[in-house]
Amino acid sequence: MIMYILRRLVSIMVTFLIVSVIIFLMMHAIPGGPFDAQDMPLSEAVRAKLMARLGLDQPLHIQYFKYMWGVLHLDFGVPYQSPGETVLQLLSRAWPPSLILGGLGMLIGVPTGILLGMAAALKRNTWIDYLASAVATLGLTIPVFVISMMLILVFAVWLGWLPASGWGEPKKWILPIIAYAAIPMATYARYTRSAMLDSLNKPFVTVLRAKGLSERRIIFQHVLRNSSIPMVTVFLPMFIGTATGSIFVEAMFRVPGLGAYFVTSIETRDYPLEMALILMITMAFSLAYLISDILYAWLNPRIRVGGTQE
Amino acid sequence: MTTSQTGGQTKISPPQTPVYKQRSPLYFAWARFTANKGAMVAGAILLLLILMSIIAPLITKTDAISQDFLTERLAFPSADHWFGVDDLGRDFFSRIVFGSRVSLSIGFIAAGFSVLIGIPLGALAGYFGGRIDWFVMRVIELFSVIPPLLAALMLASLSGGGYLAIVFIAALFGWVQVCLLVRAQVKVFREKDFVRAAKALGATPWYIIRRHLIPNSISPIIIGFVLAIPLAMMLEASLSFLGIGVPPPTPSWGQMISTGLSFMFFYWHMALFPTAALAVTVLVTTLFGDGLRDALDPTLKGR
Repeated sequence: MIMYILRRLVSIMVTFLIVSVIIFLMMHAIPGGPFDAQDMPLSEAVRAKLMARLGLDQPLHIQYFKYMWGVLHLDFGVPYQSPGETVLQLLSRAWPPSLILGGLGMLIGVPTGILLGMAAALKRNTWIDYLASAVATLGLTIPVFVISMMLILVFAVWLGWLPASGWGEPKKWILPIIAYAAIPMATYARYTRSAMLDSLNKPFVTVLRAKGLSERRIIFQHVLRNSSIPMVTVFLPMFIGTATGSIFVEAMFRVPGLGAYFVTSIETRDYPLEMALILMITMAFSLAYLISDILYAWLNPRIRVGGTQE
Repeated sequence: MTTSQTGGQTKISPPQTPVYKQRSPLYFAWARFTANKGAMVAGAILLLLILMSIIAPLITKTDAISQDFLTERLAFPSADHWFGVDDLGRDFFSRIVFGSRVSLSIGFIAAGFSVLIGIPLGALAGYFGGRIDWFVMRVIELFSVIPPLLAALMLASLSGGGYLAIVFIAALFGWVQVCLLVRAQVKVFREKDFVRAAKALGATPWYIIRRHLIPNSISPIIIGFVLAIPLAMMLEASLSFLGIGVPPPTPSWGQMISTGLSFMFFYWHMALFPTAALAVTVLVTTLFGDGLRDALDPTLKGR
């Protein structure tokens, strides 16, 4: 197992390096630079000096190695759009709104999804099953900005119950949290339903029924536990996807979170911020998948084969 | 056996041997598909939408791009303008109808390209295994950790956006699923006896893949194709929403939603109709795809 983890870590490092090279090249291949004349009317000398100070006049490979050397020391540089702070400071300022809303969205979406999925599996082909399938399909297919738009139209524009956008008082958080909750809820409803149906048909359930165990204990102690593996392993990657903020939810509800920086950093050629965002998210996803795989092996002894696993 | 009464006499017709019709797997798939009401309805609506996008100029006489109704800017829905008029004086119904062309064509073309990339890579990885498989899987791993939207954003600004760029980007992120499905199928079939027999007769790998393995992967290929369509449509809408998709004045629903966002408090029609159009189209395409997947490969059901 330890060998397996080590091998995976090495492979993650390689992936990380490849991604960093690709992204770096792509980023600099986008025409235009951070101090183009149409955005900033600077004299040629000033621009040259700025470029020199930020190291943008050097060859690409030197810029790359300099940046990656900084990354190794957890120094992600200074964002061009707000030179008074480092990238890390900017992110630690912008991340909390995304984390709060996304985290609360997960906190609401995951349990509701599990409950819906359980109800659907236990009362198969009843209205609740159809409701759960509808929620799962709608949540997974309809783009999140469409969901947000519908929420705004119904609750803010027509009913006028909730404010449409903004940040601050908790009342403004409700709609974005629902929008964030949609995907976890749909995913969990779907996974829980199919996993529960799988285990409900297993012989061990018949045995438990035959020995007279109450239906409630069968469900909660045996079936739920047996079907929990996919639910556990899907959690971390989903959490990272949700808690890093969605460009769309934040744009729709005007939340001052991380999402906007994804777009502005690319638009304004803010190279350090762009690299930092993509590298951090790539790293987070890689680690999340690794931890999920380890959890999967740990929870499911049937696939645990010691260190010889591929 | 049937009995018939003729003149008080009971005549027993000789037992007939039941006729076994040769039924192809596609027949059973079709039977399973027609039994799925939701998928049938979704398929019918999708067909209607496709028809609508093809005969769009016949449905609406007003132009979707020229600003014919500048005096009626932002007018609400009425008998003349079913969906109202937009902020630049264009009939909104025309724009929605013509928007389906962008959405559907990008969905189908990008899904087609995803399949074109996915089949050879999946077949090679599944058939040869070893190094090639390892390499393809690492590439797929790369695609699974890069945040797709961020990469799409960068690619879109790199290429300056536009129709072809969106198709290319959607295909770039759509082939992974097709590839995995084909690879899994090929892996199973390359061990079958008829493939071994072909090999023993001296068939080249290229011949086996082309004649035996790809025809046997037709179900996963169709599934991958149909499931890639809504993903591509969503990507187009997302990029257009962020302003780097299909450039205006070409009508695109994502773009219209983004405009509608600034008008929705007073001119609700600007936000409602494109949102509904996109939601319905993506939804029916997905339901149709899910139904097709269940029909073609019952073992995948509910995953």
